[in-house]
Order: sequence, then C-alpha cells, then structure tokens
Amino acid sequence: MDAKTMIDSLSSQFTGTIYDVSVESDIRIIAKVKPENVKDICRYLKDKLSFGHLCCEFAVDYPNRNEIEVVYVIGSYDHPVVLTLKAILPRDNPEIESVVPVYWNANWYERETYELFGVKYLNHPDLRPLVLPREMLGEWPLRKDYKGFPNKTARNLV
Amino acid sequence: MAEVKAVTPNNKEDMPEEIPGVMTTSSSAISDFLKKTKAQDLINWGRKNSLWFTVNAMGCCGVELLSTGMAHYDTDRFGIIPRNSPRHADVLIISGYVTKKYLPALQRIWDQMPAPKWVICFGDCAISGGPFYESYSTAQNIDEIFPVDVYVPGCPPRCEALIQAFVELQQKIAAKKDKGTEY
Amino acid sequence: MDNTVGPSEMIVHLGPQHPMMPGPFRLNAKLRGETVVDSEVEMGYIHKGIEKILESKTYLQGITIVDRICYLAALTNEEAYVGCVEKLAGIEVPQRAQYIRVIMEELSRIQSHLLGMGEYASFVGFVSMFMYTIKEREDVMSIMDSVTGARVTHSFLRFGGVKDDLPEGLKEDVKHVFANLRKAIDSYEDMYSTDTIYKGRTVGIGVLQAEAAKDIGVSGPPLRATGVAFDIRKAEPYLVYKDLDFKVCTQTAGDVFARVQVRLDEMRESMYIIEQCLDQIPNGPLFPEGTAYGRRSPVMRVPAGEVFHRVEDPRGEMGFYMVSDGSDKPYRVKIRGPVYPTLQTLPPLLKGVNVADIVAIAGSMDTCTSEVDR
Repeated sequence: MDAKTMIDSLSSQFTGTIYDVSVESDIRIIAKVKPENVKDICRYLKDKLSFGHLCCEFAVDYPNRNEIEVVYVIGSYDHPVVLTLKAILPRDNPEIESVVPVYWNANWYERETYELFGVKYLNHPDLRPLVLPREMLGEWPLRKDYKGFPNKTARNLV
Repeated sequence: MAEVKAVTPNNKEDMPEEIPGVMTTSSSAISDFLKKTKAQDLINWGRKNSLWFTVNAMGCCGVELLSTGMAHYDTDRFGIIPRNSPRHADVLIISGYVTKKYLPALQRIWDQMPAPKWVICFGDCAISGGPFYESYSTAQNIDEIFPVDVYVPGCPPRCEALIQAFVELQQKIAAKKDKGTEY
Repeated sequence: MDNTVGPSEMIVHLGPQHPMMPGPFRLNAKLRGETVVDSEVEMGYIHKGIEKILESKTYLQGITIVDRICYLAALTNEEAYVGCVEKLAGIEVPQRAQYIRVIMEELSRIQSHLLGMGEYASFVGFVSMFMYTIKEREDVMSIMDSVTGARVTHSFLRFGGVKDDLPEGLKEDVKHVFANLRKAIDSYEDMYSTDTIYKGRTVGIGVLQAEAAKDIGVSGPPLRATGVAFDIRKAEPYLVYKDLDFKVCTQTAGDVFARVQVRLDEMRESMYIIEQCLDQIPNGPLFPEGTAYGRRSPVMRVPAGEVFHRVEDPRGEMGFYMVSDGSDKPYRVKIRGPVYPTLQTLPPLLKGVNVADIVAIAGSMDTCTSEVDR
C-alpha cells in the first residue's frame, strides 16, 4: 500500500474531518485534522493502516495567528510511510483529547507538551510536569512570548 | 611555640573541674593549634595523595569523567579513585550544567560528603553556563554556591585536563591555599 | 505511582545521583519485601531547553548545540539535524562526504556500544569488563579524534558536506584497531556466554515481547532483541546505506542477555560497514561544487517548510522535526530521541522483579538521560 491509497482510505473514512492533505513524497504525508476527532483517527490508523509507531508528538506556537498546532508524527514498523497530523487549537485555551489509550508512549510527550506549551490533554491518565520543576508550571517556556528567555542571570557574561 | 588555648564555656556549671597540673581543652582547639604547626604539612601530604571523587555524571563531561577513572587514563595510580557514594568521597566534580531541578540534589550530595572536601568545576557549563548560559532551566553562578578550588575549561575538557586539575588541587593543598580547610 | 505505603511496604528512591548511567534520573520503586510492586521514573534533572535555544541560534550555530543532546552519539544527532536542513534547502551531499559521514557515524556507534555494554557489565557485578571495554573504546576514540579533532562533541558535519577530509593513513590505523577489536569482541562474547553468574543475572530477566515493544514505541537494540528487524538504515535509507551490504542484527528472546548480544553483533556489522566504505570511498570534493557551502558556510536562509528526518542512532530512531519560516533561524525544532519511549517502559517491566534486577533491567536499555531531558 503506498502513501496515496493510504490517504484515500483515510479521507473516505473520515470525510470532512481531514483536510489540507498533501503528499510530499512517497513516504511523507501531511494532513490537518479536527481536534475532536484525533483519537478516532489514530485508532483507525493503528488498527487498519498499521501506523503503530508514534514517532513523536509536540506543539508549535503561532502567536501571529493566535493558534497552537499540536503535531503527531506517526510512523510504522511495517512500511516506511510517515504521516504528520496537525490539530489546530486556540491559543487562549488549548484543549485536546489525549491519545494515550491508542499510543501508549504518548504519555510523556503529552506531559511535556503540557508543561512547555500549556496544552491541556483531556482524559490523560497522569498529567503532571515531566521535565520542569513544579514551581515553573504555568510559565509555558516554549511559547514564543515567554519572557524568561534568554536568561540574563549569569554573572560571568561579557 | 604557640600556646594551646583552653576553651571557656559560657555557663559556670559547664566548667570542668579544675585539676591541678592538667589543662583542659577541646578537639577543635587541638586541630586549630595543629594547623599552625608543621604537623599540618604531614596531614595535607596524606590528604592530597588520596583524593577520591564522586562519579556524578551530569552531562557531556560526565563521559570524560568516566573514562578518566577507567583503564586507559587510570587515575588510580595517583590515588584518585572514583567512588559511587558521596560518603566515601573527598572531591565533588561538577561535571555539567546544573539545572534548577538538580541543584537541591547536588547540594545534598555536597552535604553528605565528609570534610575535608573540595570542588572541581569540570567544563564550561559548570564554570559559566557554557552553551546553555541563556537557558530557562539552568542555574547560573555555581561558584557562589560551592567553594570551587579548580576550574577546568573546555567543552568537554579532555581526560588529561582533569588529571591536570587534580595535580593543581594537590599543589593547592600542599601550599595550604585550598578552600577545603580554614587555615 | 500511589504514594501510600501498605504493611511491609517501602518506597526506595534510586537517584538522582547514581553511577547507573551517564546522567541523573530518579526511579522511585515501591517494594514489598524484595519485590517491586510499582515504580515511576522522574526525569528532567538535566533539562537544558535545547529546543528553545535552537530557536535563537542560526542554523550553523545549531550544529554545536545538537552535539550535546546525547554525548555518546553526537555524530548521529548532527546527521539528523543537518539532514533536516539539507532536505529543506535541497542540498545534495557529494559522494565522498557521504562516505565519510557513514564511517564516522558507525565509529560513533561502536564507541557508544562499547561504553554502554561495559557499563552494563559493571551493573551486574563485572567491573573488570568495564575496564576491558573502555580500553578498546579509547582506541576507537583516538581514530575519531584524528578525524574530527574532538573526543566527545565533534561539530564535524556541515550543510552539504563534512568539515575535514580523512587524514592520511587512516585505513591502516582502522585496520590495526579493528583487528584488536574483533578479538576483543570475541572474548567478550565468550565471557558473556560462559559465565554462570552473568547468565543467571541476565537470561530470562526483563523480557519484553515483540508486540508489547511495538505497542510502546521502542526502537533500536531493545526492539531488535525481540525479533523485529526494524532499522532506519534499512527502512528509510539515508546517505549511502542503500549501496552498502549489512544485515540487521536480531535476537528473539527479548531479555537482557539478548539486548547485550544485539549490541555485540552490531559492532561487528559496523566494522564491516566501515571497511566497505574505506574500500569504496571515491575521490572528490567535500562540498557540492559551485555553491557557497563550505566549512564556514555563510548565513543561510532556509526556505519555509516543515520536514521530519530520522536516522539510526546507537540507541534507536533519532528524528528531528524542523519548522522553518524562511529566516536564518529555525522556527521550531522538535527532537525525537530513541530513549524517550524506552525509559517509559521501565515501570511495566519492573513490576514483580527483585530489587537486584532493577539495575540489570534499567541498565540494559543503554539509556542516555541527557537525550530524554534535552
């Protein structure tokens, strides 16, 4: 099965929820999805199209468009196609369904995205900060308008 | 020769009984007295030749730290032995970026080490932040927190540089210029 | 993990400072007697915000930073980063540079496995094995040192090529070192497969089934030890890997012993790859001709776009997702490290094992915490 037939199968299954599909090469597809359907689509990808390997999940901040994009990069152990799914969320209150029930290793990716960007994952089993100390929760350091970077406290700076 | 000063407790009740011909003193008074004599040179000679360090790999420099203690560079021949427990160690090597989350743990390791103890800043990150000086999660100005004796620049420094750092620390101890003991 | 402690239960904190692996992390294990009931991993002790720092550096400066993501695989990190930029900007790497990159990346795989394997042997009580592997590792490091000029963080790759050509006489050096290394690896294998204590501590311990490993998202040696022949060098060939002859090393047991065995076999394959490269390497330029790319490439603006590029790290699949907005700095870089999913498998794997096996299982994953924290 090549990239074209995969994306055809996906769009026929979820009409209207997948848009802006672009097949970049034989092994790369980028598509946008409605945030409320992410979990169902991931379930279909894993069960029917053997996309069983979540490469990573992260967010990109676009303050100009007032949007936060949550990106899922999903690969497979059986074929070389890598699918990039993007869900666009409002910047003021980003909330999205967790995909941990489908992809087990999304757990830490979602915890990290939560503490760095403030994206709230609904029905996540354990949404706690992962890499930052607890006091820093709420600063969302990887957002573009974060004030604490660059950190100027180093005394030895020229 | 300097005089041994007897410690006088504040309360009258704590005063030890006066025994004719015997001068009472405390162990800190003895060690303070010894610091001014030639005996300290002998103690320092012993100390400088068995500098055991904690294996506390915190970053890229941690890899060089591991290799320094191992077969090829073999610091054991200088009495510099890697120890896994801070309670066995004399030297804390800060081998990388200190983050805000790790700083309390590092201070705890430092507290667990028995005196006399020394600190070596290994690598640019520990000295001035290195490539991560502007990061939001690293703690800066480590030398204000720990009494650093030797700085080893490099990103990461080579194993030979760490051996050189130990040699300099030994020279400092021999010259009574180190920060591990108050002279 | 539930922090309430029942009768005859206790919580043991392993870490953050411990000699178990290069980099601090904390493992909280709840024990009932000697058995682990539950455990959790706490990360972030060396989180340095590389993804944020990369956004403020130009593309060329970024090479120095990505070196320090995982210091045991600096060259493969660079390959993933540089590969992203090359894909976005459409740069063709000349053949000679590609071969040099493969040679260096495979050398870096050998040194990483030597360290990881030796360190692992010391966790299960074989400290002298660590001494043996480090001795061989120093020889490999000196070859890498002679090419890149650094031991750990190389900054060797450039957009469109590599910083330097191979020095003269490298082939003879490599031949000499590999002859010793082959003998050494045979003797390691001999020691591993005959020592009763070592086998007692590793065979059948920490078994990860193929289906579970796939479900969790594990890659690299822990996955190949379960029998899944998944290797990015074969699945999605980059550089000249498609012209080279090598096999993906697998084992079927999925236990701790199999993971170490996979690493031993991979070192042999890497040596075979390097020898092929040294025989086949063509003469030619190190950078695409007629372009401005060179050792000191000018301030470059990369066309806007998004790209995901992945390479095979010593520990598994290393991927970079790069978003460019057309300026001289990346808009967003996401680093997908191979250890990130592997460390997540610890709590389910440790359930029901003995305390002594915690180190045996956690160490066999050859984790690099710096890469998880970034």
